[in-house]
Amino acid sequence: MTFLQGSLLYGLFALSIPVIIHLLNRRRFRTVKWAAMQFVLKATRESRGKKRLKQIIILTCRALAIAALIFAISRPMLGGFLGWGSGKIDTVVLILDRSPSMERREADGQPVKRESVLARVATAMQELDGARLVLIDSATNEAQDIPSPDVLPELSTTGPTDAAADIPGLLSTAIEYLQEAKPSRSEIWIASDLQRTDWSPDDPRWAAFRAGLDELRPQLVQLRILSLNSRKRNDYAITTLAARREAGELLLDLELSREEDTGPATLPVTYNINGARSASTIQIEGQSIRFQKRLPLEGQSDGGYGWVAIPTDTNSRNNVSYYAFGAEAPAYAYYVHEDGVPEEVIEAVGRAAAPGLPNQELTVLPENLGHQVDWERASLVVWQAALPTGPVAEQLLKFIQTGGVAVFLPPAQDSENSFGGISWGSVTESADGRYFIVKEWNHQDGPLRDGVDGTPVPLQRLRAILRREISGDTTELAEWDDGTTLLGRRIIDNGTALFLNTLPDYSWSNLEQTAVHLVALQRSLNLGSQRHGAGFFAIAGQSNAQPEAEEIRFRLDAYSNGDPANADYEAGVYKLGERVVAVNRSSSEDSLGQTSNPDLDTALVGTNFKLFEESAAGGDPLVREAWRAFLVAMLLLLIAEALLCLQPKRPLALPPTPQPST
Amino acid sequence: MKYDFLDSDVLARLGALPVESRLAMIGNVVGKHRSPHRGSSVEFAEYRKYVQGDDTRRLDWKAFARSDRYYIKEFEADTNLRAYFLVDCSGSMNFASGEHDTKIQYARKLAASLSYLLVNQGDAAGLSCCTDTLHLEIPPSRRPAQLQIIFDTLADIKPTGETGLIGALHTVAEKIGQRALVVIISDLFTDPAALADALQHLRFRKHDISVFHLMDQQEIDFDFNRPYRFVDLEDGTSVVAEPNLIAEEYSAALKEFFRDVETACHDVHADYHLVTTNQNYEDIMRDFLTARLPKQGRG
Repeated sequence: MTFLQGSLLYGLFALSIPVIIHLLNRRRFRTVKWAAMQFVLKATRESRGKKRLKQIIILTCRALAIAALIFAISRPMLGGFLGWGSGKIDTVVLILDRSPSMERREADGQPVKRESVLARVATAMQELDGARLVLIDSATNEAQDIPSPDVLPELSTTGPTDAAADIPGLLSTAIEYLQEAKPSRSEIWIASDLQRTDWSPDDPRWAAFRAGLDELRPQLVQLRILSLNSRKRNDYAITTLAARREAGELLLDLELSREEDTGPATLPVTYNINGARSASTIQIEGQSIRFQKRLPLEGQSDGGYGWVAIPTDTNSRNNVSYYAFGAEAPAYAYYVHEDGVPEEVIEAVGRAAAPGLPNQELTVLPENLGHQVDWERASLVVWQAALPTGPVAEQLLKFIQTGGVAVFLPPAQDSENSFGGISWGSVTESADGRYFIVKEWNHQDGPLRDGVDGTPVPLQRLRAILRREISGDTTELAEWDDGTTLLGRRIIDNGTALFLNTLPDYSWSNLEQTAVHLVALQRSLNLGSQRHGAGFFAIAGQSNAQPEAEEIRFRLDAYSNGDPANADYEAGVYKLGERVVAVNRSSSEDSLGQTSNPDLDTALVGTNFKLFEESAAGGDPLVREAWRAFLVAMLLLLIAEALLCLQPKRPLALPPTPQPST
Repeated sequence: MKYDFLDSDVLARLGALPVESRLAMIGNVVGKHRSPHRGSSVEFAEYRKYVQGDDTRRLDWKAFARSDRYYIKEFEADTNLRAYFLVDCSGSMNFASGEHDTKIQYARKLAASLSYLLVNQGDAAGLSCCTDTLHLEIPPSRRPAQLQIIFDTLADIKPTGETGLIGALHTVAEKIGQRALVVIISDLFTDPAALADALQHLRFRKHDISVFHLMDQQEIDFDFNRPYRFVDLEDGTSVVAEPNLIAEEYSAALKEFFRDVETACHDVHADYHLVTTNQNYEDIMRDFLTARLPKQGRG
């Protein structure tokens, strides 16, 4: 049990006051000469046992009432995180969530959650006199001996970071430490805001953690979770989704979100590009808004960086987002076709993939030279051949996974090859005098979406005679009138695979005349080119944000200085060797999802964990509860004492004088 | 008045009430009290048949005329009353709380006033003062000078030592040859069983017994709010006690004592009066005298 006003506990010496008064009172008797002595002696003999017991109970009530009062004013943290049941603990393993969501303030002027929990832990450790404190923070995921809990708030390993927390991973580290150190009795304290993305309650590592706890037996390990509850506040977050060059400008895809929808609001947004600042306002309705911002590059051909910021609010860690972009470079597209493809088809696809726009280059390769595709610089790969297999298929899959876009067109020859579980079926021909026509397509998403001004692509004019069925699980973006898929999509990690089941050839369809394929390929090229821009982005704490061998880290942006000791886990624009990387917090840190109690029960089943939900803001309700409990106890004790003392005295009724008969 | 335990006004008011005996007395002179013997008073007692040797002057000729039989007409004999006042002079009688009289002062008032009333109506009054070591006895006498002796004795007695009441009662019972009124004035702080035996002894000797059981109100209430060392007035033993804690047991013991004493008195048809020293003794005496007045039928 801990006390916020521990010095007042010296008042417990006052417990002796009732006893002293009682003893003094007994010694300070008066003397009276008494006639009815025989009754006094008899009463004294008879009352010796139960009266003494009653007297002891009264004295105990008085002493306990004083104790309850002193406990109450000492502000005990009864039943709190570090309350009853602490016992004699040998080692405390503190798992500290240093994710950006822990930098939130529950009220203006209050410390952030992380600082609040550190203060509580420091106070609690003082109570556990002599217990060893081992810190495992979410950024380093390494066990660190803490010599004194007082230094906790000053350690760089307890400072703020922008890296997400991996709670199951941290617990695994804790188990490894306990297995190695073998303390007799230990506790694992988890200080976290229970953000669902950090806790991943469905992660299979929870089962491993439970098994690890079982293996530690007969060691006694108690698991305590301090949940710092959040309440909705007007917290805004800015995120850079993408940054790319487009027509001499830098195009930023941004997202502004907030915790609660408090109606339309206008927010100033500050842009910094290569040190030059500009500002604008953005109006938000609803919970989030995505918007684009074009920043002039003024002929600058090499790369750059900058940040986008909104005013500081409840959580300052999500009020800025960094970006970086590379030097001007063409967008490369590759067209791999099978043998025997009519020249007209090759030309039609070629015109669609490279219609003569600047900074676009197309390389046409026959199928047998498919391995010559430069996977690193490619943005778009059009594959009109039997689906690749072997090393080429692996390279193509990796290309897609890293953000590339592959458009598969139907080969003329039948093939049983498959790619990602998708394969081409047989060729279908429309009935005589009839065509396959498009029934509907996705106007909101995909390469056939409507234009910015709402104009739909002319897909209703598409007529097809031949098509090749798509087998496998894809998301249907366009559909023929008989329900067959015209365009299917499969998202593979960061990239996209599109399957179009007809060709821009007059013997197949009038795709060439509608120019729909041109729109689709150009949009796919744009999408694929973002993979090069993505190379300038990294998530704090992840490997691509760390300097590789012989690379030296140097922070470029001037938004904040940060803590050099935590540079590996802090957002910012860094120069890592020759690379420029914009490191941002994980988008999951802006998620409001909380790990629910049933989720915790499932993840920690059989671990006998204790969950203590406290508010990081001042005025801990649990403390007030303890006050009340002690005050009520004091009141009850005083009432009991009064009842014992104030028993009604029964007056002795004089017997009536008898009148004897004569 | 010379004696502070006598109040002439009280005596004047109580003088109108005679001191009556509840039992027939055997006196040595003619008095106003009923005697078990037949005598020459004006109060008809009974007819009885003439037997040889009776004085023919006492024959009721009118009865002979009506019944042709000889009857002797007998009348009640009136005699005087002899009263013994037995005053307990043990140390416990010296107790008083507040401004009230000590029990011995109260006893003096009762004994002196009743003695005065008795002698004044021609009856004899005697006094017996007892402790464990002293038994002072003044035989009853009708002479007015007896009052002076009794008053002086009462004024001189100093309560001390333990009670000798039981022995005094037996002594009185043995010593008084004829029926008498025995008035016991004491706090009765003795063994109730022994007291009952002594009272039975008196009753066996056909004495009319009256008991004034004197108590101080504080002895009954036992109202103290702090620890006290209680020192026995009789033998000096002491005990420290917290009255709040023993009040209940004290009260129960006192009740049991009262019940035993009352039962002992009731068994011997004694005239029992529990008196607290804060009561007006005039009221007590008036009640005592009024209750002893002859019933309607006899008058």
